[in-house]
Amino acid sequence: MKKIFKILPILVVLVLFASSAWAAVGCSLNDPDRDVNRIFPESTGYKTTFVTIKEKGGETLKKEVEEKLKDKLEPVYENMDVPYAFYTVLKGKDSIGYIHGVNQKGKYGGMQLIMATDLNGKIVDFYYQKMSSPEAGKFMNIKFTSQFKGLTLDDFIKGNIFANDPSANSPEDFRATLRGLKKNIILLDLLLLSQK
Amino acid sequence: MHPKLLIVLALITLFPVSWALADSEGFFYKEANLIAGYSSRDGWIDKNGMMNSSVGFELYRKFSGDYGDFLIADLQMRVAYDSSKNSHQAWGVEIHNAWLEYKFSQYLKIRGGHFAPSFGLEPVVDTHSTLLQTLAEQDIGFNKDWGVQMRGSFPRFDYEASMQIGSGMSVRRQDGSYLATLRIGTPKDRNLQGGFSLLSGRTLETEGMSTFPRNELLSSDAVNKNRIGLDGQYLYGPFLFKGEFAYGRDDKNDVLGYLTEIVYTLPSHQNIEFELQYKSWISNIHVSSSDEPALTLGTTYRLSQSTKLSAAFSHDFGMMDKKPEDRFVVQFYFLGG
Repeated sequence: MKKIFKILPILVVLVLFASSAWAAVGCSLNDPDRDVNRIFPESTGYKTTFVTIKEKGGETLKKEVEEKLKDKLEPVYENMDVPYAFYTVLKGKDSIGYIHGVNQKGKYGGMQLIMATDLNGKIVDFYYQKMSSPEAGKFMNIKFTSQFKGLTLDDFIKGNIFANDPSANSPEDFRATLRGLKKNIILLDLLLLSQK
Repeated sequence: MHPKLLIVLALITLFPVSWALADSEGFFYKEANLIAGYSSRDGWIDKNGMMNSSVGFELYRKFSGDYGDFLIADLQMRVAYDSSKNSHQAWGVEIHNAWLEYKFSQYLKIRGGHFAPSFGLEPVVDTHSTLLQTLAEQDIGFNKDWGVQMRGSFPRFDYEASMQIGSGMSVRRQDGSYLATLRIGTPKDRNLQGGFSLLSGRTLETEGMSTFPRNELLSSDAVNKNRIGLDGQYLYGPFLFKGEFAYGRDDKNDVLGYLTEIVYTLPSHQNIEFELQYKSWISNIHVSSSDEPALTLGTTYRLSQSTKLSAAFSHDFGMMDKKPEDRFVVQFYFLGG
């Protein structure tokens, strides 16, 4: 039992650490080089930036995100301290698009929704980097994901989304996908496009 | 000062210097890892396998110019305490990740420093904070080593090839030690992933995770190792299945190891996971009772994105002169800004 007491100094440091907690990085690309080249074949590179809601506007910005999303951000996994990774796609020195991913709670586990847009925020590609569903194949099929191409933030705000649920028994995952994509495009707009 | 120590210090110094000089993005995270438990063999313990209670940090930066990102740096260090050692040897600095990676293209990146060998599951799963580990500790003897690596990604597969010094945590090279590894695998964004690995080397046997002071060298002779390996992962609904297999030779002994693991995420409370792992290492397949199997049941509860509580019960079936062991450990882990 004495051994346990020997680590008391570590416990003290640990408490100090926990009192100033920031969150670990949200959703970043597993292999940005491959994804950027696949989605933007004409690209020559990309630049990564990490942004949090806290540093770009704090509580006011969080409320704006929630108003547009028409839902509360989850306090543990979607709090203001989560750093989002934005990938600005380059051709030479010029920007030609953006890629950004978000985590979203699904029916069986977390999903990672990756969205690519042009410079005006219009979706040019969408795919799941991770999809925890027995019907993952139906969701990840290009027949489903391609239905979101061409959509903008306005379409999500006005509800002009006409994609059909591809699953037989996972409507929760379909609704989670819609929420995750809407959150993604709102964050892209408020954290990146509106800041430029 | 010892030249090898100088190289390590120079590498570590590069991180803050390059951070100050170049356009960069990234994060600095503090880490705390507290482990306590009970073992039927050792009584009260404050470690789990090779993992000691510790505090540390991670510094991760991406450097970019006008034409985009070109360099990544990662430095992950811990100050660890091992109460089973005397007071002079109990404290140690562990350098886990310490690497710089320069990108030439999607197809070729060069990495230098301390990183996982290109073999088995270890390079594709993050075991830095987990109680359940891969086969690497039994198979290679360590899960990080010093050296250089080339890697890249193609539309249908990834590759990485590493040349390292065969010493693990500490910087030492003797008896011609080296470690050459190669892994070719499917992209990491698929629900079904697989990999094929090869290994050839002469590795040093050490005990402990300390980089400074150097961990204990168990033998001055390096072990000749050759391996072929297969690994895979499959995500299906709330289940994640993992498997790993390795076969080869240690000096004149034919060796074989395998691991199977199921991770279950509770759908109603997705911050709770249960893990069941069975792994076995056979140090000579021609000798009976050279099998070293272990069964582990674990659970993890995430309090936030930064903090988690884990617990694991493991039964080591024992081998030859070693008695079976039951062990229960709990872990508090924090990684955040």
